[in-house]
Amino acid sequence: MEMDRESGKLEQIVSQFRSKILHVVLDSRVPSLHRHQQQDSLSLSRVRKTDKWFNLVLGDRPPALENLNFSLRNLLDPMVIDIILVRHASCSSSVDNLYSPSAAAAAAGPSTETVIERWVVQYDCPRVFASPSGADASVSYKKIYKKCILLLRSLYTQMRLLPAYRIFRQLSSLNQTYNFDIVYKVSSFSHPFSREEEDGMKEYSFAPVEALPGCLCVSVTYHATLSDFNLEPLVSLPPKIITDYVGSPTTDPMRSFPSSERGAHATSFPFRGLRPPSSAPFQRPHSWSSGFHRGIPPTKTQSLAGSPPVYRTSPKPYDITSPPTDLYGNRIQNHRVSILQQATAYDEYKLSPPFSPSASPSTPTYLSGANPLLTRHCSETAPVTIPLPPTGRSNRYLSPNSSDPSRHSLPPLSPRSSKHDTSSQESPSGIRSYRKIEALRAGESPSGLSNLYSAPKVVRDSKDDSGRFSGLLSSSGSPRIGFSRSSSRLSFQDDMDDCEFSCPFDVDDVDVSDSSSQNTENKRSSEFTAQSNLVGKKSQDAAVGILVHMLRTAPPLRQDSSCYSTRSLRAEYEGGVGIASGFFMPRKTADALEELNSYREMKDLLLSKSGTQVRKEGMK
Amino acid sequence: MNCEVCQLKELEVEHFEIREVLRCILHTIVFHRALGLVRPKDVDLELFEITYVQCGDVELEKKIDEKIDQFISWVEKHPNKKSQICLSFYEVKSKQPSWFTNKTERLYWEQWYANLNVTQQPKQHSSKSHLTKVVVDPGESANEERSSRRAMVEASLREVLFQIIKFVNEKKDHVPPISEGVIYFPYEITMPRFRVRNGHDQEDAPQRASNHAQLIIGLGKLIQLG
Repeated sequence: MEMDRESGKLEQIVSQFRSKILHVVLDSRVPSLHRHQQQDSLSLSRVRKTDKWFNLVLGDRPPALENLNFSLRNLLDPMVIDIILVRHASCSSSVDNLYSPSAAAAAAGPSTETVIERWVVQYDCPRVFASPSGADASVSYKKIYKKCILLLRSLYTQMRLLPAYRIFRQLSSLNQTYNFDIVYKVSSFSHPFSREEEDGMKEYSFAPVEALPGCLCVSVTYHATLSDFNLEPLVSLPPKIITDYVGSPTTDPMRSFPSSERGAHATSFPFRGLRPPSSAPFQRPHSWSSGFHRGIPPTKTQSLAGSPPVYRTSPKPYDITSPPTDLYGNRIQNHRVSILQQATAYDEYKLSPPFSPSASPSTPTYLSGANPLLTRHCSETAPVTIPLPPTGRSNRYLSPNSSDPSRHSLPPLSPRSSKHDTSSQESPSGIRSYRKIEALRAGESPSGLSNLYSAPKVVRDSKDDSGRFSGLLSSSGSPRIGFSRSSSRLSFQDDMDDCEFSCPFDVDDVDVSDSSSQNTENKRSSEFTAQSNLVGKKSQDAAVGILVHMLRTAPPLRQDSSCYSTRSLRAEYEGGVGIASGFFMPRKTADALEELNSYREMKDLLLSKSGTQVRKEGMK
Repeated sequence: MNCEVCQLKELEVEHFEIREVLRCILHTIVFHRALGLVRPKDVDLELFEITYVQCGDVELEKKIDEKIDQFISWVEKHPNKKSQICLSFYEVKSKQPSWFTNKTERLYWEQWYANLNVTQQPKQHSSKSHLTKVVVDPGESANEERSSRRAMVEASLREVLFQIIKFVNEKKDHVPPISEGVIYFPYEITMPRFRVRNGHDQEDAPQRASNHAQLIIGLGKLIQLG
């Protein structure tokens, strides 16, 4: 009976040893197993019963492993793990491939399978043996167990040193698809390699672990180099400048866009959740991606508009391979949370009131737009024309006033307009240069304010790669009736304080009608179109930012646009209107709140003067 | 119990590579000697295309980094010299208490020697930064030379790691039994050519290894000097 118990222990050690090796090998070689495992932080920190074996915490075992364990019950049979490289025949790159690489690869032609590694785990046991007994057995099993631990440690380390680990890491990367894949095969026998296959392969055998009556042997045969296999990433579509995106004066804003359109330099406002003109979703790298600098040539100034909105209706394999969108998606969530925290303070401030010169020289408030607009990220709205930034830009757009107490630090601006930043200071990061371009300071001067207030237009840029929203200001610069508009403030980092730049945007009031209805949006679009005609040499980025900001700050904050415009107009006529939406500077939340309060006071003052009471409806 | 000694292959490294190389080597060794419950942590080197494994213990990581800092300081003071860092594992045995001594004794059962030949003058600002690159005139040939040298160092480092794996696999009997709740065996990191005692650098400070280990180390030094 005791012998049975002891032999049961040995069997358990051998069985778990094989399972552990299989887990280590598959975890380090087969990316698809990782993709199917969704491990959250909680599950990662949990130590499972299987983890405790050999003191190596590996996490959840892949379901396939459990099945394999069952099929390889006979411990005396070897366990052969073949790591197979599947190379797909090269095919022309297309978007379809990107959406479904494996399907495209499979359809592309015959694929070649090559065993690049073969792991063999065997318990060599003589037919006639004598198992240890008594105290010797216990000591023996402890030693066996300790040596198994050591072997597993060295195997784990070696997995990362063999050539196949590199391509495993490449495949595991979400940023790229490749013309190959790694699969595995586990069996209890192995087809011997042909002479051809053996050429170029090396073998390494780990020192056997004495596990009387037999010994545990682990060996690996592997390709010394994989450079001969021409493993390369799938050709991605070359960068392409989209010339006919939404908002271009030369383009019908309501035209549908081909679903296969994909350009690396697209300007998009995906966070607006705009409904794509076509039913098929597509996406482009977003201009706020890390290191992404959109190279829109100056000739495109007249066609400043957002790209067709990126809207992903359903997750696709391509989703995995498009980090900008994924990042964007995540950022949306993150930013929503952060903005929501501030939004409650700004709920009432739906309209950016006209400001009197006596108003505190703080940035305009585009705060109330944050919450409801952000909540509409995933809503679908019609594409709108991005207004061209106004030409009346001037020295208003000096560096943000760092001494402004009402500033609050918001996320940095997007890096989109770096190319147009000719006058901003050099900064270490592209993001900062963008921010310099787009940083606007409110309340710069009364004279400046009046100019700005003529037709302030605020747009918000999309998220940058730091995951926070940034805003852009643009101004029509026209003396037309302006509509002050509340919108999210631009965000700047404090390091932008001292920069001088010529902002491509003027800060004007923007007619942000209730965006909950398409009609108002179209109305806004048309207004912006009109305004856009006034813009001279403004960057496409700025225009994009304008649109973005406009969309973000669109009502329901503002229920009665006409009333608002009237009020704005009146305020303008009164001549002492500070520009709410004119300038941006780095702020903190407290600063923003303070400014909000000041604007409220100004608004009340103006309202009291004009005798008009704006009903606040649907503010919250 | 014998003290097994492993002299790792000498690596020719530049100053800015010391930190990464030593981290890789020391953590790899400790991972093979951290036989308690560990959650392995893969770490990619930044200078080389090598991934090594840490045992995930924060204290250990901190201690290793401190020792590497000391080593780098020593190298900066003694440039262009062959240097060595020793990672020793020991057991704590209590001596027979007597009137004179009531100490515990360390019995070293394994010692690893990482041998580095630092080939360049250390940069003044790079003592803490492991990412500092050597600033040279970026000519074409200089770039090629640098990348080929980098490839050589990477290949050598890979060989050292394989050497560690081989040693760990071949010699298992001398490893003490695993204590319950202990993640890794007691260890010590020293710089044999330049003893560190009480936190201060001391030339030729007495070594605290066992007599047997001292003999081995002395022989090792002779071999290196020869």
